[in-house]
Amino acid sequence: MAQNDVVMSVRDLSVNYLTERGPLQAVNRISFELHQGETLALMGESGCGKSTLVMALMRLLPSNARVPNGEIHYTTRDGRVIDVLKMSKGKLRAFRWSECAMVFQGALNALNPVIRVRDMFYDTGRAHGMGSKDAVRERALELFRLVRLDPERVFNAYPHELSGGMRQRVLIALGLLLDPQVVILDEPTTAVDILTQRTIIDVLMAIRDKLGFSIIFISHDLAVAAEMADTVATMYAGEIVEIGPVNEMFYRPHHGYTLGLLEAIPSLAAEAEELVSIPGSPPDLIEPPPGCKFHERCPFAVERCSREVPPLVDVDETHRVACFEADRVIAKARETIQA
Amino acid sequence: MSEQPLIELRHVYRTFKQGRQLIPVLQDVNLTIAPNEIVCLVGESGCGKTTTGKIIAGLLPQSEGEVLFQGRPLESYRGKERAAMRRALQIVHQDPFASLNPAHTIGQILSFPLKHHKMVSGRAELRRRIWELLTLVDLTPPGDVVNKYPHQLSGGQRQRVSIARALTVQPKLIVADEAVSMVDMSIRVSLLQMLHDLRDKLNVAIIFITHDLALAKYFAWGERIAVMYLGRVVEIGPTEQVIGNSAHPYTRALISAVPEADPIRTRSKQRMKLRSEDIPKLTEIPSGCAFHPRCPFFVPGVCDARVPTLGAAEGYAQQVACPPLTEGLGLREYEAAAEAPVAG
Repeated sequence: MAQNDVVMSVRDLSVNYLTERGPLQAVNRISFELHQGETLALMGESGCGKSTLVMALMRLLPSNARVPNGEIHYTTRDGRVIDVLKMSKGKLRAFRWSECAMVFQGALNALNPVIRVRDMFYDTGRAHGMGSKDAVRERALELFRLVRLDPERVFNAYPHELSGGMRQRVLIALGLLLDPQVVILDEPTTAVDILTQRTIIDVLMAIRDKLGFSIIFISHDLAVAAEMADTVATMYAGEIVEIGPVNEMFYRPHHGYTLGLLEAIPSLAAEAEELVSIPGSPPDLIEPPPGCKFHERCPFAVERCSREVPPLVDVDETHRVACFEADRVIAKARETIQA
Repeated sequence: MSEQPLIELRHVYRTFKQGRQLIPVLQDVNLTIAPNEIVCLVGESGCGKTTTGKIIAGLLPQSEGEVLFQGRPLESYRGKERAAMRRALQIVHQDPFASLNPAHTIGQILSFPLKHHKMVSGRAELRRRIWELLTLVDLTPPGDVVNKYPHQLSGGQRQRVSIARALTVQPKLIVADEAVSMVDMSIRVSLLQMLHDLRDKLNVAIIFITHDLALAKYFAWGERIAVMYLGRVVEIGPTEQVIGNSAHPYTRALISAVPEADPIRTRSKQRMKLRSEDIPKLTEIPSGCAFHPRCPFFVPGVCDARVPTLGAAEGYAQQVACPPLTEGLGLREYEAAAEAPVAG
């Protein structure tokens, strides 16, 4: 991918939450780049910092959060570079939704139950200076067609008249109302049924290909990442421990945690399976362990892992890993994963 | 089956009242569970899998039909026998945060049922039994856990406590309703493996309810799976058959729709295209086979006219409720539709 098509560039970003026991390092020195039209999946267990990270990208962190270091640079369509962390409140309003939109999980709670879908679109359009109601309506109906909803019926409906899957698609359309370059999806298919999930995945991928926006999505479901993502980042205890193209990550993982996740999830395809869960639980992020934060649970850990923090280094041009024992991980992965 | 079933559901119906409407949540469910067996109930939300689980656990009466425990209707048990029957049937709920009292220690949570049901006599035996239960669910060393409160444990550990609590009364059957769906994926497998071990060690049967087909396949490998749709069992049989050689179009649609953690495979999978994406409301269940408005192999005049019952079908070892397959009605049209390209 060319250097100049980067839409979002995150450098050394950290987020702490102030707690009674001291600062909790929810996100620790994360760096990555998001390219035009790229879909990036963040995967990891609950509490790994993936939600905090995307909230930081949108500057939507709660009041007890602090960003001690890091930069978020966003490049607009006309080539201007914006420093997201230094943006004024007014600029931020313009940035959110029209440049970078977020679709929250739980389609039930994210729509106002007492107003019609059309009024939510009108309100959003007006708040972000979209001009006439007709323009909003036209755009909304076009988006509904793209997400395979019956445009007129849904536009005039109340949320309770729609099924869960339809509501999720309404939210996706609402997120796209101002034609953002980046769409952030928080667990887009969690808590929906299998056939509904299929529709949402298909619709999202079709509309992404058509409109060309970039996606960052959070999922604890590796299968959804395998299907939708171009790039996958594994997060553990607030850090990206491995990032690379989807096939690399699933067939040639270099980090013990990525491999551990892959070995812990059942698949429909295989015959009888041998699965192994990762022992232990994630560390305390107020007093994190020294060295690699995963070393206490890692079957590949050596003495060095408990002393030194492994840096994120290149496996190749696109694939990076933070593990001293990556050679042993990939050797094991070659034995267990048949691609 | 020569052995007497542990639980048998015969033509079980269940309706719920909503305002003036009667909602049929279960219709004509027939299910037999042998001692020490594992059966997975899978299906989408609203299919009746949780209601079935509650009826099996004796927590909810059926509206019609019979539920037999060791050959006798649940209602016929009285007095001490009834207490023993209730102890034999236990349930583990989905949410380990809501199902444990936050004001009690783990030791207390386990001691209440042990004392109430007089499973132990004396403090020494109580303590010994609690230690034994915590060891069974791999919460070791037990001394580290007994005096903790639920909020001091992780979700996975809490679910282990819920399972230990169900085991206090030495049940013959445990209904595990989405028991691992709120636990992180990295430790789900260890919980499932523990449940399997308990089944072998303690000779219990397990009804495992889930919406996750891959999880059901893993847990019930070598056992049985029942697929439910809008209140009915549409396919039941050996897991390897139901997953590997699915008969019912609904099961086939589910399997083709599930994404898999294998990028090349999941992106090249043949998808079945349904005729409609909307799940019908329980108040407006379609005539005949409830799946017919969505089924790509729909045979007019058959599928919308006949209520299918579970039966054998040629080429399949499992039972399926689909008239073209079981009775050969309109089979030619069905097969023509089934052979047409269906990739979405």
